[in-house]
Amino acid sequence: MAISKGAYRVLETIVGEEYISSDPVVCEGYRSGPGGYEAGLGYERVMTKIPGCVILPLTTEEVQKIVRACNRYKIPYVPYSTGWYGPRSHCHVEDELLIDLKRMVDFEIDEKHLYAVVGSGVIYSQLQEEAMKRGCYIIVGGGGSQCSAIANMIGDGWSPLSYRIGLPHRRILGTELILPDGELVEMGSLAVQDDPFWGEGFGPDLRGLLRGFTGLRGCMGIVTKMAIKLLPFQPERLKPTGISPHTALELPTNRVKWINFTMPSKEAMKDAMFEMARAEIGAGVTKVPIFWRAIAKASCKEEYWDIWSKESEETISGFHLLRVLLVGFGSEEQLEYEERVLNDIITELGGEARRTRPTDESWFKNADSAGMWLMCGGYVSVDYVIETLEHALPHGENYAELKKKFTPPLMPDYGDPGWFQSFELGHQGYSEFLVYWDPDENTDGVDHFYLETSKENIRKRFYTSLLGPHQPLYLTGPAYGPNYHKWLLAVKDEFDPNFLSHPPVPLAHDEFVEKAEWMRPMKDWESPKLP
Amino acid sequence: MLKGKVSLDVSNLDNFEYDMSKCIKCKGCYWVDHIYMSGVDFSTRCPSATRYMFDSYGAYGKMRIGLAMLEGRMEYSDELLKTLYACTLCGACDVGCKRNLDLEIELSLEALRIKAVQDGKGPMPAHKKVAKKITEKHNRFGSPHQNRNKWLTKDIKVAAKADVLYFVGCSAAYVNPEISRATAKILNAAGTPFMLMPDEWCCGNVLYSVGMIDEARELAKRNVEAMRKTGAKTLLVSCAEGYRTWKVDYPKMLNISTDELGFKVVHLTELVDELIKKEALKLTKPVDIRLTYHDSCSLSRLSEPWTPWKGERGKWGMISPGLERRRGTNGVYQQPRDILKAIPGVELVEMVRMKENAFCCGAGRGTQEAFPDFAAWAAGQRLFEAKTVGAEALVATCPWCKDNFTRVAKQNGDDLKIYDISELILAAIEG
Repeated sequence: MAISKGAYRVLETIVGEEYISSDPVVCEGYRSGPGGYEAGLGYERVMTKIPGCVILPLTTEEVQKIVRACNRYKIPYVPYSTGWYGPRSHCHVEDELLIDLKRMVDFEIDEKHLYAVVGSGVIYSQLQEEAMKRGCYIIVGGGGSQCSAIANMIGDGWSPLSYRIGLPHRRILGTELILPDGELVEMGSLAVQDDPFWGEGFGPDLRGLLRGFTGLRGCMGIVTKMAIKLLPFQPERLKPTGISPHTALELPTNRVKWINFTMPSKEAMKDAMFEMARAEIGAGVTKVPIFWRAIAKASCKEEYWDIWSKESEETISGFHLLRVLLVGFGSEEQLEYEERVLNDIITELGGEARRTRPTDESWFKNADSAGMWLMCGGYVSVDYVIETLEHALPHGENYAELKKKFTPPLMPDYGDPGWFQSFELGHQGYSEFLVYWDPDENTDGVDHFYLETSKENIRKRFYTSLLGPHQPLYLTGPAYGPNYHKWLLAVKDEFDPNFLSHPPVPLAHDEFVEKAEWMRPMKDWESPKLP
Repeated sequence: MLKGKVSLDVSNLDNFEYDMSKCIKCKGCYWVDHIYMSGVDFSTRCPSATRYMFDSYGAYGKMRIGLAMLEGRMEYSDELLKTLYACTLCGACDVGCKRNLDLEIELSLEALRIKAVQDGKGPMPAHKKVAKKITEKHNRFGSPHQNRNKWLTKDIKVAAKADVLYFVGCSAAYVNPEISRATAKILNAAGTPFMLMPDEWCCGNVLYSVGMIDEARELAKRNVEAMRKTGAKTLLVSCAEGYRTWKVDYPKMLNISTDELGFKVVHLTELVDELIKKEALKLTKPVDIRLTYHDSCSLSRLSEPWTPWKGERGKWGMISPGLERRRGTNGVYQQPRDILKAIPGVELVEMVRMKENAFCCGAGRGTQEAFPDFAAWAAGQRLFEAKTVGAEALVATCPWCKDNFTRVAKQNGDDLKIYDISELILAAIEG
């Protein structure tokens, strides 16, 4: 059912005629694909639609009125901040209302109590710079500095700096959430007073409503404001240098230092991460996927392939690069001390320091996720686990092996087991598996691999973070539950009885498998007829 | 064309199907380079998307719309034409995208306008009026052609023959004589003989910018031929828009490289910077002012030389033969700053958005003619930015920028002074 003239007039009254449009040209501008995260794959082609109407609210009150109008007129809607998270954050049904939150750029910062209150349109690099001006910092999640800080905090939100700072949901403080039926819920300390300084509120922790583990992609309402915890940094500024594309932050090396190490084995990298944590040193750490180095070295796509095609299983299996960030948070002496301890650890493990540029091209302010599309034009991270390092390593190795069956169409990466690191000073281990393909070739195999990873996780008992809307719920729910899917759907039904907040999420991947004929042979699980 | 034969020929939108289909919506085209992000203020570099807000006005939306046009899924409408033309084609998106990717965003946007004209729907009515003036009077203002050299004063020495030819351009010839006079006097002061074109016509910048490539190409042929006939080795301009037209757009339209023009295209700032560094020109008179410098788009990120390319695109989107992309890295950024720093008394303060991240003044590429309110809004944004750094004056290197800023400053009652760089150089020479 198209959005009626009456409903349109109501929506127009809320925001003013300049900030709403159902013009086909405007709506086409909000198409998900064909490029972008996960775009060009079957899910994007089968499941996404252009919106029937786009609206740009300015305030929480306007969002609340819009959502209430949607419930009154039974208009499906999806919140949208930057549109970066690919097809899963775009319209899935005909005549859907896309609520573009980019005008919501309220920003306040409380230096004394170390938090910033941001609107949905504020992105990470803005927040990071405002924090750094005041001697603080945040994590710019791997999704990139162009992400809405709120969207990333309730979806993904980690980086090598999570080694020290920890996972994003721990830094979500007071939050304003418009529930799918239009009710405003204030969480954390906002539930009891006006000061959003603390994440804990009354009763059960409702932050689970916001994100589950890796986000519900707009199917549980709209966060309009969030207080995000800031962390104290060191006092010297990181100086921007260079002209595009060669821009970087010059580091004050008496206070901030990246050091790359070659290590004799993956085990040695893992041991280094443990030992760093045991010694409580370091501000960031990661195993560097080897093709990231090739991207960093290449001046264009063709040069990337020149570099990468010289690699082989042999060269990749023998090359292990560990990247460590040291910060003298309290003093220069702290950095000196940590560097000495780190060097001892690396030496004992047989590693060796490499020459490392005294700059930061990514992670502090410019998590350069856009570069992931240079090589092939298509990219998605098929899985990430947040468990232990003992779990993370085999996860990546297992996926690398599984991937061989799907290469091509996937880009050859010669068995590189993706990205792994420790979080929260070694208490958690992370593995993310990134895949790339040529979107202008047949991509059915990529769709198959994406789903096969879910089955592999169940077979091998890997603890995936990509549950909820990222895989077929009736496949993962019974396996991880046994009734996890029933709970999720019951919660969804309770809060969104009209099923208007980004339908058919969280059942979208189930629906995709049903609709895409090339996926059906993979369906070996039971599910009811979908609504 | 996703795979197979492809070229950089902007008269065929097929050439940019790959580029349009690979936009990933990172919005690097919209935001200032994150390394240079200054916080929540002055954080965007795309005037069109900042003003109109809907995604359709950013390059990420336009690439999707362009693809729909190419695939025949999009009907022409007023909104479509506004989407294509309420854009300054300032190159900010192109530079932002190419920080990470190898996509030709600026060329795609130019090709979309050319397609609109080929389809009989573009350009905008206001552009057609300008085109008529150019055809009939050889200048974009419709002023009498015989008045083109009226800017010349008796104290200016013009050579009959010289290695340097000063191409004055419509603005400096008719509307901004202070720029042409200052330029000529600087050349005189430096002892650099210069000649003028025997019969100078409009460069056709607007025609090319709005997609009228056939008309623009005819002017390009005429002007290049006229320049070659003079025997001059260097074509000097004092207009950033003219600089890009001669250095980039003409070779692009004529399917030759910038080198193959047979003469060098030089902006006044490049020449003066060189003269100062060779000590052939001395700026000795103090100009006591705290000023900020506005990077005119066509002198900075859009000014890298053109090389034609054709080849094939294959697996992974790789192209063969290789292509050195124009990423805006080698624009004229430093020379104007060095000149200003060489003027005694000048205190140069930078705006938050500078060099490749600069926010366009809003005047160029047909914007001012068809969307004057938008052009004024963009200038207002930039003037506000200049004031936040405490500048008393704003300096540009293009009469388009100067005019737009001056008009808006006057409308707003701003006390910020607006100069072309030639005026300050001359003041530092003559006092």
